[in-house]
Amino acid sequence: MDIQVDTRGGPSDGPYFEDAEGFNMPEPPGNGSRRIPLSDFPTGPEVGSRLPDIVATDQSGRLVDVHADRAGQPAVVVFYRSAVW
Amino acid sequence: MEAYRAAGVRLYALSYDEPDALADYAKAHDTTFTMLSDPDSEVIRSFGILNTLIPPDDHPWYGLPFPGSYVIDADGVIVAKFFEHNFAVRSGPEQLLAAALGHEFEVPAPSDEQPAGRVSADVRIDGDRLPMGVTRQIVATFRVPEGQHLYDEPVPDGLVAAAIELDDLDGILSYEPMAPPTSPLTLAGSGETLQVYEGDVVLRLPVTQNARKMQKDDDGRFVTISGRVRWQACDDTECFLPESMPFSFRVEAGFPVLGDMGPGVGRVPAMNGAQHFQRLIDRRAADDSVVDDQ
Repeated sequence: MDIQVDTRGGPSDGPYFEDAEGFNMPEPPGNGSRRIPLSDFPTGPEVGSRLPDIVATDQSGRLVDVHADRAGQPAVVVFYRSAVW
Repeated sequence: MEAYRAAGVRLYALSYDEPDALADYAKAHDTTFTMLSDPDSEVIRSFGILNTLIPPDDHPWYGLPFPGSYVIDADGVIVAKFFEHNFAVRSGPEQLLAAALGHEFEVPAPSDEQPAGRVSADVRIDGDRLPMGVTRQIVATFRVPEGQHLYDEPVPDGLVAAAIELDDLDGILSYEPMAPPTSPLTLAGSGETLQVYEGDVVLRLPVTQNARKMQKDDDGRFVTISGRVRWQACDDTECFLPESMPFSFRVEAGFPVLGDMGPGVGRVPAMNGAQHFQRLIDRRAADDSVVDDQ
């Protein structure tokens, strides 16, 4: 998939920048963490398919297998940038 | 989180952070959902959602996913997914829970003043706080009498589509509204085909706080989101007059973790974020041989 970086938007008030939708941020669009896609981008497995297995360490150091851990309950799985910034 | 527990829906949040960063975050915020650590972005890669626009030597940004959320049913099948264009903007928990519950909603009872046979409307904001970049939804629910319908955009002059309109508010951004499916209806007179909603209608308008422009109340901690809901109901033979209902919600404005300056209403607890951020920069800087395998 050929993805283009979204560099629309530009300088805003003070040392800030604004993306194409009007959201203000500390870096110019297209820079650093702001390399966000302009066109379609991969969004992973499709609706209707089984969520792929996820096995990862949680906040208490426990190894969690999501499908086993949810014990038959529905779930929301969020992929986000960071808890740190 | 209480709403998730009550609904029997589990919540998992995965990031490229180290487990001890998640532990500090969970401690600072009394987190009760499961935070998952994917420091080498292995899970992110296995989902095919690594942000490949970021070069492998760009620390600490490399390893981020294209952010988004999956909603799965009891069988583990994906029933909905939400992916955002901008890192800094993501779907709020109410939106995700609504998807997990199949957009079930409570239809408000018609008020006493409402004439029989007319549409009644209810509008509320889902969520009591508006942190920067996390969407909350303005939810408009229309109870539509049998035989009547509401319109989706676009409509010709003289008709009013069902919509949520925000006032021009400094620092409040709104995104694409979420609406139920429509079906086509061809008007007898003009032969024009319009999109109509069948039965009761729930519209959801995601809104968020902008980073710098927010106009807060005098005490600097609350923001008011105002606007109106518009609609016009028609049946097979005639249309009622357009109607409108104003709304105004005052909610706490949230603050980002790294910018936190101390305790208080609307503020988030501090964690040692700067230290963890330094580690994100350092952890791969020594190993620039890392190769992007996608």
